[in-house]
Amino acid sequence: MNQAYNPQSFQYDIAQNPGARPARDVAVSFKGLSKTYKMDRVEVPALKGVSGSIAKAATTFITGPSGSGKSTLLNLLGLLDRPTDGEMEILGEDVTKLTDKQAADFRAQHIGFVFQSFNLIPVLSLRENVEFPLLNRKMSWASRKTRALEYLEAVGLGDFVDRRPGEISGGQRQRVAIARALVSEPTLLIADEPTANLDTKTSREIVALMDRIKVELNTSVVICTHDTDLITPGSAIINIVDGQTAGEY
Amino acid sequence: MIWKIALRNIFKNARRSVTTALAIGIGGLAALLFGGFVTSIWYGVQTSMIQEQGNLQVYRNGYLEFGAANPDAYTIKDWDKVAALLAADPMLAENIAVITPRIDLAGVAGNAETGNSKTFIGTGIVPAEIDAMRGWDGWNIGQVAPVTGLAAGGQESVIVGLGMARLMGMCEALSVPNCQDAPVDASTLVVEEQDFTSLVGTEAGLADQGNGTEKPQLNVMAATSAGVPNIARVGIESAQAQAVRAIDNSFIMMHFEQARGLLYGDSQEATALMLQVADPAQVDAVKARVDAVMTEAGLDLSVYHFTEVDPTFDRIFGMFTFMFIVVSIVLSIVIVFTIVNTISMTIVERVKEIGTIRALGFRKGFVRALFLTESTMIGLIGALIALGSAILLSNVINAAGLQWTPPSNATPLTVQLMVLDNPTFAIGVVGTLVALSFLASVWPTFKAARLNIVESLQRA
Repeated sequence: MNQAYNPQSFQYDIAQNPGARPARDVAVSFKGLSKTYKMDRVEVPALKGVSGSIAKAATTFITGPSGSGKSTLLNLLGLLDRPTDGEMEILGEDVTKLTDKQAADFRAQHIGFVFQSFNLIPVLSLRENVEFPLLNRKMSWASRKTRALEYLEAVGLGDFVDRRPGEISGGQRQRVAIARALVSEPTLLIADEPTANLDTKTSREIVALMDRIKVELNTSVVICTHDTDLITPGSAIINIVDGQTAGEY
Repeated sequence: MIWKIALRNIFKNARRSVTTALAIGIGGLAALLFGGFVTSIWYGVQTSMIQEQGNLQVYRNGYLEFGAANPDAYTIKDWDKVAALLAADPMLAENIAVITPRIDLAGVAGNAETGNSKTFIGTGIVPAEIDAMRGWDGWNIGQVAPVTGLAAGGQESVIVGLGMARLMGMCEALSVPNCQDAPVDASTLVVEEQDFTSLVGTEAGLADQGNGTEKPQLNVMAATSAGVPNIARVGIESAQAQAVRAIDNSFIMMHFEQARGLLYGDSQEATALMLQVADPAQVDAVKARVDAVMTEAGLDLSVYHFTEVDPTFDRIFGMFTFMFIVVSIVLSIVIVFTIVNTISMTIVERVKEIGTIRALGFRKGFVRALFLTESTMIGLIGALIALGSAILLSNVINAAGLQWTPPSNATPLTVQLMVLDNPTFAIGVVGTLVALSFLASVWPTFKAARLNIVESLQRA
């Protein structure tokens, strides 16, 4: 797994990943996804007709060199952005035509996010940060609190619930971010370079944590990374180069 | 949770929050103090005028429109019967504290000692009743006017304006401080006492009034209702400054009977009846009842609120209200810009947080609510600072006993900043500050909610 990563000629030995692409139910499918940004008057294509799928309750890595379009694809999968063209279904629902409100509600119900720089709300305690997404749910304060504590326990931070994000380490913050992403028990967990700001050991722990929780919660995990060392056996891989699918394993 | 985030962010950015809250607080303080002053004007100047004129005044129909040209044609005949009629009504008897007649007159006054003479504008009043009116304090603001000083003297005594005393060359004789007699040209001085008796017609008997008094004397001459000049000699009780220089230079206050004798002889006529209502809240009801009683009696009279007769109060109050509005607008602009600046800076610093919140599935409304709550809370803190400091500062200023003289008064009023005496106003200012804080942040928060999620998340 510790192969050298060459963004120009990305090759991933399928033999090292024997569990890849098993026949599973599809959580997300997308076909011909394109995204073009307008910068001043110049149109910059970020994605050029990308197609693929994300299996249910599996981990899918989106890999590729910097600027290849993997984050753009992730943003489209997470309904944070709209494709210029193409089709996409999440859990069988056409999500390309959702209104802004519908997209927000869909994210609240089905999608969890883990960001590269954690993006915790600094003025809230760890418990309150984890509890935060549950404000979108009709839950009592007590239920929200209980569930937030359960998830903090699950990521090993049960003893730090009243601390603020600024009072814990980067690895711990990312654990909190994972707890926050999972507390609403989403169908799809999207993680954009979740280990970019962490050391190697902590990075592996974070990926292992997501892998474990994926199994427990039956959640599809999509991880965008350029660090192929993180790819775990049995995971699916979508490789993006120059805005196009360079390989799907 | 929104409140928690808002409050904690306020404390997190303590310096900026304090600066903004102080800007709101100082603006609110200025509005509250100025408003308290305007409130005190509303009570103080009205009290002053009611003490002088009563809340209501009865005139012959047409007097206010045409009486100035021909006052004798618009007098109240048998004023004493009208007063008795009103006093006999149970509702009016219960509510009216004083009913008193007044005669307005004009003529020529002369000082035989100096040979000075000039026109005068006079008023004839019943001193004891006016003194009673001057004790009125219907709103309990502790403002009582001094008595006229006319009651102590006889029927022939008068009070003149300070300017009148100066022009008549009576400053020294009256021992008026800061008053210098008009210079007298000895060569033109008429040594003999001026004799107006040849001018006096059928009322000649009135001419000798006032003789024998040791007070400085004036001869006052006015035309009777028959158009014949009539004259009286009066003794000056004192000189008192009047609010307007032109009036001060020609003012004479005399006993009602003296004025009536000069103008109407034995006829029970008066220019007006002044009614002082004990409870100012009952004025409208009393006015309606007076109107009904006079209509039932078939009297050719009308009753007016004192502000209808004399627009001074409305003008003073209107002027200060306008100033208050202008100052409030300026303060509001400053407050709005401060809040817009603060919230805009807060939003710029928290763009990534906005992106995260939107990514987590919260709608734009949640983002708006988050920042609107924050600005509203800052506004509330500022408003409470304003209210607290206004109460404190107004007490200090009120205790200092500062005085000011409104345009309608000759004597100063003590400055009383009535911040809490008008709770509606105080609550209104607090509410306005909070509402301004809310409204000022609407535009920046709408902009924040419209931020592109992806771009927000990419912000460092």
